[in-house]
Amino acid sequence: MRGYVLKKVGWSIGTLLFVVVFNFFLFRLLPGDPIGLYTRGRNMSPEQLIRLRQQLNRPVGEQFVEYLANPFASAINSTRFNRPVWEIIGERVWPTVLLVGAAVLAAALAGVWLGIRSGWRRGSRFDRITTGTTNTLYAMPEFWVGMMLIMWLPFFPSGGINSVGVSGFLATAVDTLWHMVLPVTALAVVYLAEYTSIMRASLVDELRQDYLTLARAKGLREDLVRRRHAVPNALLPTMTLIFLNLGFVIGGAITVEYVFSWPGLGLLTAEALRGPDIPLLQAVFLLFSLGVIVFTLVADLLYAVLDPRVSTR
Amino acid sequence: MHHFVIRALTFALAGGLLSTPLSPTPAAPKVTFTIGIQSDVDSTNPFTGIVVEAYETYALMYDYLTTSSAKDVSPQPSLAESYSEAPDKKSWTYKIRAGVTWSDGQPLTARDAAYTFNRIIDGDFEQTNYGNYVANIDKAEATDDNTLVLHVKQPTPIMERLAVPILPEHVWKDVDGKAVKSYENEPQNGQPVVGSGPFQLVERRKGQYLRFAANKNYWQGAPKFDELVFRVFTNADAEAQALIRGEIDFAYDLQSNVFNSLKDKPGVTTRSSEYSGFNEIAFNTGAALADGTAIGDGHEALKNKQVRLAISHAIDRKTLVDRVLNGHGSPGDTFIPPVYPLLHYTPTAPQNFDLAKANQLLDAAGYPKKADGTRFALRLFARQESQDSQSTAEFVKSWLKEIGIDVTVKVMSEDTLTEVIGQGDYDMFEWGWVVEPDPDYQMSVFTCGKRSYKDGDAIYADLSDSFYCNPAYDELYEQQAGETDQAKRAELAKRMQQLVHDDAAYAITYYYNDLVAYRSDRWTGFTPQPDPHGSLLFQYGVHSYLTMAPVTATGAPAAAESPSGGSLGLVVTVAVGVLILGGAGFLALRRRSSASADDRE
Repeated sequence: MRGYVLKKVGWSIGTLLFVVVFNFFLFRLLPGDPIGLYTRGRNMSPEQLIRLRQQLNRPVGEQFVEYLANPFASAINSTRFNRPVWEIIGERVWPTVLLVGAAVLAAALAGVWLGIRSGWRRGSRFDRITTGTTNTLYAMPEFWVGMMLIMWLPFFPSGGINSVGVSGFLATAVDTLWHMVLPVTALAVVYLAEYTSIMRASLVDELRQDYLTLARAKGLREDLVRRRHAVPNALLPTMTLIFLNLGFVIGGAITVEYVFSWPGLGLLTAEALRGPDIPLLQAVFLLFSLGVIVFTLVADLLYAVLDPRVSTR
Repeated sequence: MHHFVIRALTFALAGGLLSTPLSPTPAAPKVTFTIGIQSDVDSTNPFTGIVVEAYETYALMYDYLTTSSAKDVSPQPSLAESYSEAPDKKSWTYKIRAGVTWSDGQPLTARDAAYTFNRIIDGDFEQTNYGNYVANIDKAEATDDNTLVLHVKQPTPIMERLAVPILPEHVWKDVDGKAVKSYENEPQNGQPVVGSGPFQLVERRKGQYLRFAANKNYWQGAPKFDELVFRVFTNADAEAQALIRGEIDFAYDLQSNVFNSLKDKPGVTTRSSEYSGFNEIAFNTGAALADGTAIGDGHEALKNKQVRLAISHAIDRKTLVDRVLNGHGSPGDTFIPPVYPLLHYTPTAPQNFDLAKANQLLDAAGYPKKADGTRFALRLFARQESQDSQSTAEFVKSWLKEIGIDVTVKVMSEDTLTEVIGQGDYDMFEWGWVVEPDPDYQMSVFTCGKRSYKDGDAIYADLSDSFYCNPAYDELYEQQAGETDQAKRAELAKRMQQLVHDDAAYAITYYYNDLVAYRSDRWTGFTPQPDPHGSLLFQYGVHSYLTMAPVTATGAPAAAESPSGGSLGLVVTVAVGVLILGGAGFLALRRRSSASADDRE
């Protein structure tokens, strides 16, 4: 078990290092003249322009060593906002975590529930309706679903995270919940099919297993057979999916944030790309990768706890 | 089961208590004007921001020595109630209005103005947004509380157009040259940002909104409403929905399809205003460094003025306006748009759409059609960021095919295109400019000295993107730069436009309009700039903000927030909360009861 943990942690650190290096050189390879674009149409004196360029023109090796020393340094400033990139990201990370976190949670709970019901009675009318509906929703683009929700449900706000002028902790919280309804719904209904189909498929795999027959032979009620025996075994693939998706929580849902003017990281990325604001993009990409790496690691470790066979193999 | 009931009740009670702050007491409802914007203000620090929305906030928060008139965008006094050039042309004197105060009660004097200018002159980062305005100013001096003297190196007309917000010295002296780079200039501890303009910034939520309170003591008179909100939308369709529902009163910066969808909506008026921007097909007229060294790989044929003229004659500008802009613009000719009636030059020899003439010009220039009907091939670069740019390029490609020029269209990001242009590695590209009331910047784009430059081994772009270089033009540019008589300067500006037009450094395609929609059932009294077809908001100056007023005749509520939205929202939120908690409680109860059941395993 200890060897397994060490191996997994080692792999994660390796991946992280690779990402840091790759991230750095990726943006140095991009063509373009960000300073030229940034200053086009501004009343900047030529000397100022030359000084800005000099910063970008320092030897790549020197820049790399500086970056590698601390990719999270507060001295790294955004070109566009002129402030430390991590400070800007700090402001934007919570709305995204709130939005995507709530959506993943809602989709996972509802999806697992639906998957269990339809898998247990495979081929029933409930199964057919559920599978058909979730697959149809899965096929729809999130931004389109979002746009339709805005048009069909005009009593919900058309965007943003807070109304203007709402103050006080409780009022703000309720107001934010109110603003979350549409974007969370848009994301959750699209994600739903992933959980439903995985849960359904893995439950169906368990249906003919001998231990279920044994449980029934012991005289257990049908729903106990399902809840105590079949579901725990069938949950493993779904757990993996949940954790992998949690890794993408930080990556956000760029299109949904865009439709609902949600002030999160997805939107920040889109803003940073117009420019482009390279230090900011670099930091955002690093954070996205970090999220995926950390949650993949958690999923791996949790898997070993849930199913001891994994770590001894 | 009663656990569930108690939970639901607790939540409902909490909800009831919450409704108080959500719907404030209706004693004195604030009249709020809400503008939907599609690009967040990047910074409320006037030394940092770039986007037009940011410049609008500076105009709201601060005063400027001069402004641009609503009638014809000509310079007019503002914070300086009068100004004059010294007879020896070595300085300008500005009489600062007496009795103006900062929002914290301190008096605004000429010393604040002198401080602001000296800070930029002596500054480093401070030069970013205003460097060009002060390049010719030696120093600023307040001879008394009401007199500002700016000492200039050479006579210059820009002194009537110094678009520099005057900042309060007692606040900014504590922000040094290093701290100013990351200074946010946002409200702190509930205190609004200290300013002197018609509005004060009282709240800022990044990526969401900015809230301003009207300055009831504004020296030009108090605005006729209480609060102004800029609300950020990242999606034009959502912005349009918000306008229809009355969440916002004014939708800025609309795309033409969204604009058209708002046309017949009740209570909404759409407006396509003349704007100060143009787009062009720019030619590589012979890329070179400022010192004349040739660079790049531009096509030889484009160095020939007759070839460029032929291409300009092959562009059907009216079709571009109709099909690309959906009619929201006008065909273009010279580089100062007609919104500046005093400066715009209308050519006597317009480059009309005439394929026969274009063919003739090319034949005469020594590029006859080959057996396959083509003459030569050119590259045309369009911008990824703009659908209009790509459509224009496709149209131009089809027209040039008619005159035997085989065009390859390539789409690239503006960032990449900037670099490609700087290196001179292009034949033609599509882009545009927004022209300020003072034309100096735009005119400098066509001077020889603004061609690319070399630093070490690397070549960098300066402002020139056509590499136009004409000694006669440069001479006129120098002349206008020292001409402080507005009428004489306008004459020079017109001759300069004529040169660039007749030499076809650009084929200017169109002047595009500014598309907005607003709730005319609630608001009235906007002041267009210029009169009568110009923009209603986001002008040079704050004219509309001072004249617009809520519609009161019908007795319709003018407040931005619909009163029912908040309480309905609360009810539904509480209902959803009750359902979720109730559901969870129910499941928990069921689980407990079944767990206690006798199940042997």
